[in-house]
Amino acid sequence: MTAFTLNGREVEVTAEPSTPLLWVIREQLKLTGTKFGCGVAQCGACTLHVDGEPVRACVFPLSGAEGRSVTTIEGLSEDGSHPVQQAWVELDVPQCGYCQSGQIMSAAALLARNPSPSDAEIDEAMHGNLCRCGTYMRIRAAIHRASEA
Amino acid sequence: MKPQDFTLTRRSFLAGAVAAGVALVVPLRLPAAWARQSEAAGLSQAYIRIDTNGQVTFLLPTSEMGQGSHTGQAQILAEELGADWSSIVVGMPTQPTSDYRIPFIGQMRSVGSFGIRFWHDPLRRAAAQAREMLTQAAAERLGVAPAALHAENGFIVHSGSGRRIPFGELVKDAMALPVPEEPTLRPDGERTLTGHAIPRLDASAKVTGRAVYSVDVEREGMLYGAARLAPVFSADVESFDEGSVAGMPGVVAVVRVPRGAVVVAESWWQARQAADALDITFTRTLADTLSTDEINERFREGLDRPDVPVSTLRGDAEATLASEGRVVEAEYSVPLLAHACMEPINCTAEATEERTELWIGTQGQDVVRMTLENALQLPAEQLFINTTYLGGGFGRKTHGEIALQAVLASRAVGGRPTKVLWTRENDVQQGQYRQTMMCRFRAALDEAGNITGMRIRVAGPQMGLEYGIDPEQRAQETGNLANFDPFSLGGLSDMHYVIPNFVVEHAVVDLPIPLCPWRSIAHSFNGFFFESFMDECAAAAGRDPLEFRRSHCAGQERMLAVLDRVAEMSRWSEPAPEGIARGLAVVESYGSYVAQVVEARVDDEGIDVQRVHAAIDCGRAINPAQVEAQLQGAVIDALGMALRQKVTIRDGRAEQSNFHDYPLLRIGEAPSVAVSIVEIGSPLGGVGEPGIPPLAPALANALFATTRQRIRYLPLTDHIRSRSIA
Repeated sequence: MTAFTLNGREVEVTAEPSTPLLWVIREQLKLTGTKFGCGVAQCGACTLHVDGEPVRACVFPLSGAEGRSVTTIEGLSEDGSHPVQQAWVELDVPQCGYCQSGQIMSAAALLARNPSPSDAEIDEAMHGNLCRCGTYMRIRAAIHRASEA
Repeated sequence: MKPQDFTLTRRSFLAGAVAAGVALVVPLRLPAAWARQSEAAGLSQAYIRIDTNGQVTFLLPTSEMGQGSHTGQAQILAEELGADWSSIVVGMPTQPTSDYRIPFIGQMRSVGSFGIRFWHDPLRRAAAQAREMLTQAAAERLGVAPAALHAENGFIVHSGSGRRIPFGELVKDAMALPVPEEPTLRPDGERTLTGHAIPRLDASAKVTGRAVYSVDVEREGMLYGAARLAPVFSADVESFDEGSVAGMPGVVAVVRVPRGAVVVAESWWQARQAADALDITFTRTLADTLSTDEINERFREGLDRPDVPVSTLRGDAEATLASEGRVVEAEYSVPLLAHACMEPINCTAEATEERTELWIGTQGQDVVRMTLENALQLPAEQLFINTTYLGGGFGRKTHGEIALQAVLASRAVGGRPTKVLWTRENDVQQGQYRQTMMCRFRAALDEAGNITGMRIRVAGPQMGLEYGIDPEQRAQETGNLANFDPFSLGGLSDMHYVIPNFVVEHAVVDLPIPLCPWRSIAHSFNGFFFESFMDECAAAAGRDPLEFRRSHCAGQERMLAVLDRVAEMSRWSEPAPEGIARGLAVVESYGSYVAQVVEARVDDEGIDVQRVHAAIDCGRAINPAQVEAQLQGAVIDALGMALRQKVTIRDGRAEQSNFHDYPLLRIGEAPSVAVSIVEIGSPLGGVGEPGIPPLAPALANALFATTRQRIRYLPLTDHIRSRSIA
């Protein structure tokens, strides 16, 4: 049994402690906004926050979440009102959208520690999040937009 | 705006139900559930349903994989209908009828950048029909002429008196009216949604995690499957030992599928671990020793054949090549590519004796149907396909194999819903792939440095037959001679430069590798081949690349328009900024012309692409913001491809496996991309694909401009460093 806080709610799950957190959250806890892309922390589609820090859930074991606070895209805001989500909509960032949960979680973590990042700081913080649709230009612009909010 | 409503899309299309006392006359096109309840509920037209409560729902013909077709198609429908944009719902049909098939393909498919350019007219006509039926019903009720009424924001409005009736109140009366055969379309002045940068319908769902991709589908009692497939593509299973995983946690079944096995378990992670542990042996095949080197050798043998069939012929290229003083020759090639959609291949199936229901992000609903018909003799009327959002498509999701795996898995566990999900390693290593191709050019230049003759010979597989295109028949239809496979020759045979003596030949070299179109299909490599070679010819003639291209574009207004626009954007006539190399390319594909200029810094640390200018003529831009997004995205996608992507073969298997060795472009490497839309009254063209082809040659041409090194084999980083390597 592993107990942790998920989007502000206490949860307890039973699974092998080595199971990547991604699968516990998607399959057992039914929050599917966090995506599977590579399984080896190369693409960032599974990015969520553990105690506010961006983490690749596909390689983060369930046991690592014990007693900690996990936030997924569903918990970033109740209604899509987080400044990063709003900026993403305003600039029409998503195309296929599959990577965007991870992009947004990485961007939100960046802005939480650096409220007005430079392009170089954005590139560094977002380096681990791939987008095959190529929305990077609008991602950069949306992070700047959110930083002004 | 509501998210895509999958409850609506689950209704079935059964023509027979129309007989059940239904008043509306548009029938055989109706989803059965709609038809049954339509007397009480809604007005249906192909693609459109209007309920008595006024809810307008569009059932769209194109899958949404990021290209924005749902938004664009809804703009076309809502505008012509006069619907309230803020309250429409979009979905897709679960069983394609003829209304949803592209006639010349004969299938419901989201390919060829057809989403807007093909569907614009049929959608607009259907919406005009529904609008006229509503208007007629309102005219009768108000006792006025239909001409005195107009449709606006979900109401039929009488301008003279200001009276207005909501669509929903007119539905029952409208249903009793005949469908007008030749509805009048709105005049240009009333086109208030198309031509405008309307925000995407799906943006909100996609930034909150609510958008449902097939990998997210949840069914009660669902099991999960992971695939273990033959590493050599043409191999099949020799044997496997179910006992080797029987004791593993959660394992429910091991299911034989073509070229491998699917392990079904209580969770996907358990299934995956068991699939990795499964004791399985595969058959030996003649392809067990295949390598990239051997493929290239076979291609060169093909290029050297004395009897390569001629596909396209104008004038006498051979004579010109023999008589002109200057001949330019070059050989080019591109590697296999994986599609690497961000959402790995997956499908959920609930398959019982009587009924098979699928949830799948597919570009080919009819391909899925035919795959199951062929493999399992599954009757089409028992199959229901819920098309979810696609986490990328790029051509890869036109295949039916994953649907077959999911159905077989579900059947093996008594019809329980089963989600089969491939790993990224499955995706990169088990195909399908963009084909590898090789190409040789010979061009003759006259004294003025103009191309008087050109021979192009390509070597590589032929893919048309697999996609329902007979190369012989297509040759006749397109005025080519023989053996015209558009999947191989598109962008060569139909290029738009004026070259009087011109021949294209295809040495067919088939490969034991599963192949599948990749965004922009043949243009993804022929654009690189041809536009690099044009640059070589310009350099050989000592002429400016822009001026050289323009001088071969007599009468080609669209070529000239995008070339001139991109020249203006990039200030081509002025010297390049200090330290910046510039390269130019222009390619027509899928009905649109795109010219690009790449600006790159090249130094000892490697190449750094800083800025790309792109000009597109796609006719009228239905949604300029999405045209811009597709062009920007295509540049990024193609830049990753050109710089680094390749799948190489050794011992019959793919050497790459995941994003560490099959790298997509990362944000720090992404240039800024300026897009300009050229509107000169051209017919509608595609938008999803045409941004891809010019990028690789424009980049290679920029490299040549500064290094004098001509790179003819992709990817470029096999030959030169990229400055910001991942």
